[in-house]
Amino acid sequence: MRTITFRIQRYDGSRSWFQEYVIPYESGRTVLWALIKIREEQDPTLTFTAACRHAICGSCAVRVNGHSVLACKTSLDELLKVFQTDVLEVTPLSNFPVIRDLVVDWRPKTERLKTVKPWLIPTQAGSAATGFAQSPQEYRRIASPTDCIQCGICSSECEQLAENPRFLDPFILNRAYRFAVDSRDAAPEEHIRPALESDLWKCLHCYQCVTHCPKEIRLDQEIAYLRQQTIRMGETDNPGARHALAFHDDVRNTGRLDEVTLPIKTEGLLRTVTRRLPFAMRLIRTGKVNPLQRPRPVRGIEGIRKIYAHVKEKEGKRQ
Amino acid sequence: MLQYDIVVVGAGGAGMSAALAASRDRHLRVAMLSKVYPTRSHTGAAQGGINAAMGFRDPTDSVEKHFRDTVKGSDFLADQDAVEFFTAGMPDIIRELDYYGVPFSRDEHGRVAQRPFGGASSPRTCYSADKTGHVILHTLFEQCLKNGVEFFEDWMLLSVVVSDGKLDGIVALDIRTGEIHPILARAVVIATGGFGRIYWTRTTNAFNMTGDGTAVCFEAGIPLKDPEFVQFHPTGLARTGILVSEACRGEGGYLLNKHGERFMARYAPEKMELGPRDLVSRAIETEIREGRGFGEGLQAHVLLDLRHLGREKILERLPQVRDLALTFEGVDVIEKPVGIRPSAHYTMGGIHVQDYRTCATPVEGVHAAGECSCISVHGANRLGGNSLAEVVFFGKYAGLGAQETARHRDFGNEKRVVAEAQRWARVFETMRKKTTGHNLFQIRDRMAETMWYNVGIFRTEKDMVKALHTLDELWEMYQDAYIGDSSVRYNQAFVHYVEVGNLLKLAKAVTLGAIARKESRGSHAREDYPHRNDGEFLKHTLVYKEGDRYRLDYLPVRITKYPPEERKY
Repeated sequence: MRTITFRIQRYDGSRSWFQEYVIPYESGRTVLWALIKIREEQDPTLTFTAACRHAICGSCAVRVNGHSVLACKTSLDELLKVFQTDVLEVTPLSNFPVIRDLVVDWRPKTERLKTVKPWLIPTQAGSAATGFAQSPQEYRRIASPTDCIQCGICSSECEQLAENPRFLDPFILNRAYRFAVDSRDAAPEEHIRPALESDLWKCLHCYQCVTHCPKEIRLDQEIAYLRQQTIRMGETDNPGARHALAFHDDVRNTGRLDEVTLPIKTEGLLRTVTRRLPFAMRLIRTGKVNPLQRPRPVRGIEGIRKIYAHVKEKEGKRQ
Repeated sequence: MLQYDIVVVGAGGAGMSAALAASRDRHLRVAMLSKVYPTRSHTGAAQGGINAAMGFRDPTDSVEKHFRDTVKGSDFLADQDAVEFFTAGMPDIIRELDYYGVPFSRDEHGRVAQRPFGGASSPRTCYSADKTGHVILHTLFEQCLKNGVEFFEDWMLLSVVVSDGKLDGIVALDIRTGEIHPILARAVVIATGGFGRIYWTRTTNAFNMTGDGTAVCFEAGIPLKDPEFVQFHPTGLARTGILVSEACRGEGGYLLNKHGERFMARYAPEKMELGPRDLVSRAIETEIREGRGFGEGLQAHVLLDLRHLGREKILERLPQVRDLALTFEGVDVIEKPVGIRPSAHYTMGGIHVQDYRTCATPVEGVHAAGECSCISVHGANRLGGNSLAEVVFFGKYAGLGAQETARHRDFGNEKRVVAEAQRWARVFETMRKKTTGHNLFQIRDRMAETMWYNVGIFRTEKDMVKALHTLDELWEMYQDAYIGDSSVRYNQAFVHYVEVGNLLKLAKAVTLGAIARKESRGSHAREDYPHRNDGEFLKHTLVYKEGDRYRLDYLPVRITKYPPEERKY
């Protein structure tokens, strides 16, 4: 008989260990089914949370073989096929304090969530007695971000958060975005500024949050939008914005990046000299960059500039 | 010792609405207890929508029509003054939710979009795609954060302490630390949801819908009203019982038997698939019993066919429905029909609320709202889209009622609350240290099985008496249950032990109410009494628990406008 072995990370408040459970294989089952089966048939002390069973309550996120998933909607057959194994390792979400076994503590996240003012700051156009008018197009902008079930998978997968506890969890950035683009919200800046102040530009573009999100929310595009808005808000005096603007200007001017001036524009001359010089020297020595050769406009630069003009015109119309 | 002016227990739609309304008075300290993180609450699972006669989609719709539909849907067991109050207030609630930021789907004029729903004479169900409950729950959570409501998540209600018909306080378990706390409060709002888990495996409910607040109030002497009325949702997925939104019928889906017939023509020739839930559920079960379904036993089902709606409409309006069918049945509804069968969905009965304006119960200081309560606006059968409406609406009025109570009431008897906490601490200790006894999961599963087969969609006296014996036997076994976890920290086995105890008490009340109601009305279908009997049973059941004794009583239905008539669709 085929069996599946679960290696589950346990934690009792002081001690952490892995425990193995073997259950008979059944086709068409989910990770949650297995966890329940283990708890009810083998070990009533195994602790995990789950509620709705259909991916709307966000209770049951865990990591399986290092990947964060919702236990209720993740097919065992698929996992066994993808990993080519009958042994699955289940661990709690990363970037959360663990309470017991697979149960994590959400309290610190709630505190961080509050920083972006995760509530509508209503415009004068509506009132509690009248509600608002909002067009279907305007609704569509908030349709996907309000799919978020706050399951914590994006937090668990976030590479920046793992290194930098200042960085806001992607689901919190999503919440900031959701209000920033809501036509009923009077103060997008109040949601965006706290994100900027929490290292918004430090997102690594690793896309782990996007590829793991069970609701397929385009967190990458939302983060890009929030960054653009900070520039529109006049927040250009930071390395992230300067880096983005340097890209923008270089490509418009010559159609390519000027790798000599890029770090200077991003980090300033002093920082570049003190921190990047040995690296720059190595690049020069190996012929990767030539500081004497200034980039000239590429062939077809007129076309690139036409694209810039077109985008600018379209944006003008949107505003 | 913890002390609050108002404690709200339960952080779903009703609890958060209550906390929000109560916390507007900055002089009152409001705390909110929840067994789970607030956004995990089951309100989030409501997909289809929230009813309010806005008249946007159909200008001929009116509060009056919503009132009438709700009374008719209730099979005339709803209290009409309460229904009138409720339906008249709903349009304002929608505007308020809009102002809080609920992302409603919109019509071309920028107004909140509305769709048709079962049992409604006009399309009045406001919605946000098929995640209406989810977005309302999250929006209320945001507003509670804004108002600085104090959350105690992972706290479970164990007792409501009452002396001389008045609230003293409550006792709750901090699941994380294992500490059991006495909490003093001038007023409490119980908003802990329904108890569909008495049918454990065949229910659309989340695992934690174990009726904790209802059972605790029942134990404290507050009667249960109309517990025998349990709604079975017609469209549970065949294999798991997971809910597929009523929106799939609202948007025009067909129900087909194995001959490919739209069999609803036999049961509701006018409304067809848009008949009310109880009628559609019984129609499906009848098709299965008479051999026109697919499969056998617990695998039997009929088909829900959405193909004719077309890819675009399905993706636009029913994306979650498609996703559910794909994940849990492996069927893409754009290409194939999906197997469905009724699944226990909603408990119309609950904590007896005697004043619908404040949601006050017979015990001074205790208010209740949402599925845990029975006001009654749903009577013998709830209409789709009326539960989200109820939680937000009556949650708000319960919060305002509790505010009023807290302003004029003092704290109760501290000693009794402390003593009750100590009693629970001893129970916890005993259960942690116990090394043998009956398996808790087996007790639970036998309860569910006996309820599904004997007190389910079709009921007879013989079956239900059998169920009663089994429940008594299980209660005996429960006294010697074994949980198998000695941990103080996050002991879910103990939490589940308390939950199963709650379910057993509630299951017995359901069965007693159902045996005594010798008629068929709304969701309560007696094969031995197939007709409604207004002469004898146009009244609410009240079940009291006095120690181990259960006692039945009745209460007249308040009829203001619509005298009972035959319910046809």
